Amino acid sequence: MRIPKQSPEISDRIVDFDGATLERRPVLKSEVLREFQALNNRFAVRVVEKLPVDQDGVLDPQAMDRLLVTVHCEMQRMSEEFQHGQRMAELLNPLLNAIRDANSPRRLTVVDIGCGSGFVLRWLAAHRAVPDDVDLIGADYNPALIAEARRLAAAEDLACQFKVANAFRLEETAAIYISTGILHHFRGPRLTQLFAQHVRPGTRAFLHFDFHQSPLAPFGSWLFHAARMRQPLARHDGVLSAIRAYTAHELLSAARTGAPTFTSAVYGTKLWQLPIPRAFHSLVGVLPEYHEAFVANLGSKALSLGVIR
Amino acid sequence: MIALGLWILATLDAAFAGYRAAAGRNALIRKRRYYLRAMILGAIFGQVAVAMAAGIILITLTLTPDRLGLLRDYNLAGARMLLVYVLYAVIILFAFIIRSIRSVDIRSITSTLVFGPFTLIRPAVAIAGLVYGILVAPRLEVIVVAVTILMMMLGLERALSFYRRLSSSSTN
Repeated sequence: MRIPKQSPEISDRIVDFDGATLERRPVLKSEVLREFQALNNRFAVRVVEKLPVDQDGVLDPQAMDRLLVTVHCEMQRMSEEFQHGQRMAELLNPLLNAIRDANSPRRLTVVDIGCGSGFVLRWLAAHRAVPDDVDLIGADYNPALIAEARRLAAAEDLACQFKVANAFRLEETAAIYISTGILHHFRGPRLTQLFAQHVRPGTRAFLHFDFHQSPLAPFGSWLFHAARMRQPLARHDGVLSAIRAYTAHELLSAARTGAPTFTSAVYGTKLWQLPIPRAFHSLVGVLPEYHEAFVANLGSKALSLGVIR
Repeated sequence: MIALGLWILATLDAAFAGYRAAAGRNALIRKRRYYLRAMILGAIFGQVAVAMAAGIILITLTLTPDRLGLLRDYNLAGARMLLVYVLYAVIILFAFIIRSIRSVDIRSITSTLVFGPFTLIRPAVAIAGLVYGILVAPRLEVIVVAVTILMMMLGLERALSFYRRLSSSSTN
């Protein structure tokens, strides 16, 4: 599977929402095809060619929603196998405890940006992996994914909420912003802009997990997705995610430029301090007054934290 | 013993095929029961495949004038197949033991290094075992049984996936 690095993910192109009004915009199949053809991404062209359209050539919104819900369900397998819920809990709790050590409101809110079908929050709620006085809110532009997240949370009676919203325009103040696998979707200056939006009253920390770029990552990702994903779209986007993943240096540079009031570091770039790259790493940012407590709360795990500044 | 060993491995393989056919179709968090049912379903499908293979073996044994010779050849081929499949199963089992360690990194490594690649090479291992078995007793009956088993091994997950699609479309 040859996928050019500059190509966007298919899931980013087959649906479109206005960032301000969250209204859905029609997507012309011909335009999506043209973009992938121009990038010589034949795999994506083959996938998009098979997608259904209406009489105006607009990709069928309901079919796209069904496809994305199916793909997210398949991709949850990766989150399960790579223990994303547990990974998040292992860093989130030291952060929450650090924030609690200082003067903070009793109830804290954790907001998951681009939560999709909400696996991480649902996992945290199902395993009671965060204290009861932490509100878990997932935000995503896509109503179909949020409806699915709500359905799944209700089916297991989980204490978490999901909203069709821009995560930075919620009524609730996020003490901590988190995300899984979304950073690489923000290309160029948009990544810095994403971090700039974290700088707001009441927000004390952020914690973003994403693929870790390494020479082995694209092959490893292909291996994983080829063996497990049924949908060609899931295979394409999964492999491309690893290809487009940012290095620790790129993430830190964007975070420090966009959100200079936070001290930030990348956690877990190397495995057990050995020169073995991890499949995922996480960017952690915390206001300076909490960073000492955060590092202390990490205990021995602090060894996996890169230079924090 | 050889037949018993092959039956145990076939049942385990079928149960895991059931798991794989079910994985990625249910986004709930707590789904141990779902996977357990999927593995039982896989094992049941596996028994059908085993019964079909056993039936072919019995028919060939009934029809052949050289029953003892054929039985000996089946045993020889089966022993060689067992050798390949046991090796594969031991690696998978070892990965499961490692995965029981409560560390996200260790568990991720088992996915990256074992479960992913070994799921991909499973068809090749299935073929390798059968070829290795046929080579020691290259006669028509052994080849027929081996090819039948191979088709069932490789088709089992597909059949289970088809069954899942069928049952989910009939409930919708």
